[in-house]
Amino acid sequence: MSTARQSQSHYYDSQSFYDEMFEKDFSVRPHYDSVHRLFGKIKPSELNIRQHALNQRMMEEGITFTLYSSNQNEPLERTIPFDYIPRVIPRHEWDNIDRGVRQRIRALNAFTHDIYHQQHIVKDGIIPRKMIVSNTYFRPEMVGLDVPSGVYITASGIDLIRDEKGRYFVLEDNLRSPSGFSYLFKGRTLMSELFHDLYLSSSVQSIERSLNCFLSSLRSLAPSGKRDPLIVLLTPGSYNSAYYEHTFLAQQLGIHLVEGRDLVYKDHNIYLRDLRGLRKVDVIYRRIDDEFIDPLAFQPDSLLGVPGLMNAYRAGNVAIANAPGTGVADDKAVYAYVPDMIRYYLGEEPILHNVPTYILSRKEEREYVLDHLSELVVKETSLSGGYGMLIGPSATAAEIKAFAEAIKLDPERYIAQTTMKLSRAPVMMDGVMAPRHIDLRAFALMGEETHVIPGGLTRVAMTEGSLVVNSSQGGGVKDTWVLSR
Amino acid sequence: MLNRNAEALFWIGRYMERAENHARLIDVHYHLQAEDGADSEAVGKGQEAAAPTCKWSRIVDALGSRESYVQQYGSYSEQDVLRYMTLDRDNPNSLVSCVSHARGNLRTLREKVPSEMWDAVNGFYLWLREKQPEDLMAESPHLFFGKIKEWTALFQGISQSVMPRENEWHFIECGRYLERAENTLRIIKAAYNTVIASGESWSNSNATGAYSYLQAMLRSLSGYQVFRRYYADGMSVESIVEFVILNEVFPRSVHFALHTLDEHMRYIRFQDMQLRSAHDKVIRQVSKVKADLACLDQEDVMLDRDGAIVGHLLDACQTMGGTFAKTFFRMGEASA
Repeated sequence: MSTARQSQSHYYDSQSFYDEMFEKDFSVRPHYDSVHRLFGKIKPSELNIRQHALNQRMMEEGITFTLYSSNQNEPLERTIPFDYIPRVIPRHEWDNIDRGVRQRIRALNAFTHDIYHQQHIVKDGIIPRKMIVSNTYFRPEMVGLDVPSGVYITASGIDLIRDEKGRYFVLEDNLRSPSGFSYLFKGRTLMSELFHDLYLSSSVQSIERSLNCFLSSLRSLAPSGKRDPLIVLLTPGSYNSAYYEHTFLAQQLGIHLVEGRDLVYKDHNIYLRDLRGLRKVDVIYRRIDDEFIDPLAFQPDSLLGVPGLMNAYRAGNVAIANAPGTGVADDKAVYAYVPDMIRYYLGEEPILHNVPTYILSRKEEREYVLDHLSELVVKETSLSGGYGMLIGPSATAAEIKAFAEAIKLDPERYIAQTTMKLSRAPVMMDGVMAPRHIDLRAFALMGEETHVIPGGLTRVAMTEGSLVVNSSQGGGVKDTWVLSR
Repeated sequence: MLNRNAEALFWIGRYMERAENHARLIDVHYHLQAEDGADSEAVGKGQEAAAPTCKWSRIVDALGSRESYVQQYGSYSEQDVLRYMTLDRDNPNSLVSCVSHARGNLRTLREKVPSEMWDAVNGFYLWLREKQPEDLMAESPHLFFGKIKEWTALFQGISQSVMPRENEWHFIECGRYLERAENTLRIIKAAYNTVIASGESWSNSNATGAYSYLQAMLRSLSGYQVFRRYYADGMSVESIVEFVILNEVFPRSVHFALHTLDEHMRYIRFQDMQLRSAHDKVIRQVSKVKADLACLDQEDVMLDRDGAIVGHLLDACQTMGGTFAKTFFRMGEASA
């Protein structure tokens, strides 16, 4: 082990981050033993062969996403950087995450229901009314509407990070249409084929059942418990950056991949136009934002959705997953209240904690934040994907000044959080291990029961020192292994 | 066409199909986690060692060659099984043997088929002949099996696009579809054996081990996506068996294979009166199996827990193979 210690210490600085693979003294954590042994001894030439095979597979299979930028005419189609050192999670750690995520989703679902019905939580003074009415994602159309089986949040992604002590925290909830499922499943396939020896000798919890659970969750939404429901995945189309994922899920779940123009509204029902004529659609898994699903109800100029969809939905003739309006619960300002929701609705203590968060509409908290901007992370509440963020410790004075002005102008648009020392895991860079910051997106599927996909998606900030893991910002992914023993 | 040519063509079809099926089967099962309760804590120390063995014996079982394997190797290990199935020339059903037989047969009638077909089979054989077990592991078995599938697809694509639709073509296709029906049935039979061995209820797809195994079974027949379209999340051993036996559009189902076999059989034309009446007899035999299949309904398959129906169909396929040989190939089984 001493050789590993010496060679690794060259590439690992002594900053105070939690490392997934190495202890402070660079000895290897027991659950990483076999992974470290393999990557410690594998020849660079062999790694190159596998890396090459991997890249080729990803290009051939079109495991890509599309980047649009205003200064380029041709959109950039690229494969997501995939690092082949898996992230390994011991079973007991995962069991805790699994329980924590299920608890959180139950509370968030209860909250969404409450907000669109009696609003007990507001009346009882747990959450300020302003937080709801000023919320961009609050959908008045949903008020008083009963959704199938009471499930609003069919598919969700809870982003988790670890601090310097290795404690897990929830960074954010993605309750609208989270993506990343395809990277998770494809990553596992690629690893099990390219590193078959390592994969087969480690007892990794299987994720194969999860797709079945996904499908069961969608089926359970079918109006009046229809036995053989017609399910469609509604995509914005092949220009969407996550289009690969849409095709992957439709293919794996055996459901129809459709665009708005393939669907038609008639007599309070939604029909699929196909060669057999019009077929009634029972469940729509949509990967389109609320604003675009129905131009009659929301954005009138949207060409992506289906005019009349909300009418059919309100009539109870079609289910939509996730339900419109779930964004009210994953707003960054509402996030701060999730622990209270768990206590309020479930009468339980939160198993997973939030990152300490400042609410800027509160005067003292705002003043503290304005004084400490260079130490904090500031996020615009309505944006996601790593956009509209200030990372204090790495920001320039000008950026800090601009954010300070913006906060003073409209404090409710922002929240501030303690800068977390995101944990690191080694990635392979030119044949040696180098530390990079990571997070973990845990996916939950809510149906009759709630299922959390074992492992989830580990996202990696591929640039040295960077804390931004979003794929739209150059982040990569790793396969995530939950040990079954 | 000579009788022996007909026989050779029939076996070319069979062996190329067999190579493809084996590649799929081994690939999928190889990448199956050493499941078998590795997930459940109930497994004791002693049993842990037994679990992976079971996985390897299943692969050998699905190819119906347990006896010959045990005779040759005695016990199951990853290396032995992989070698036995892929590069062992002593195993008449290994990939290398299949391709070598196909090539040997094609060689006897090279001049009668488009030259591109010979190039494809010969290229395949030369490529495979050079492989060592170590290469296979070093470049990852998945890539190796992927390559095998590409070679067989090349052969099939070329014959599809250039072969005249005469007796030669129909003999190859008869061989292919009879092999396919048998292969699918063997896989189901192996699954039944596992059911009996585990004593676990397999309709309960919630058991993780059972689920992965069922899924692997479908994947090894490339039927996973189609199955989803017909049965959605109803992953149970009964629905899978029903699907791979009775589905009419899935090209690897027993139903589809037998119907296509029947079609090609009927396209074969003979001048000789004696051959014609023998030919009629084979057609009747195929029709009988088709009729047996048509009489089956969902419930029969559901209740067939001991595999009697599958066993019956498998026997019928073997009988057909025998009748074939007797009818058209008076040379007997010389090239088999």
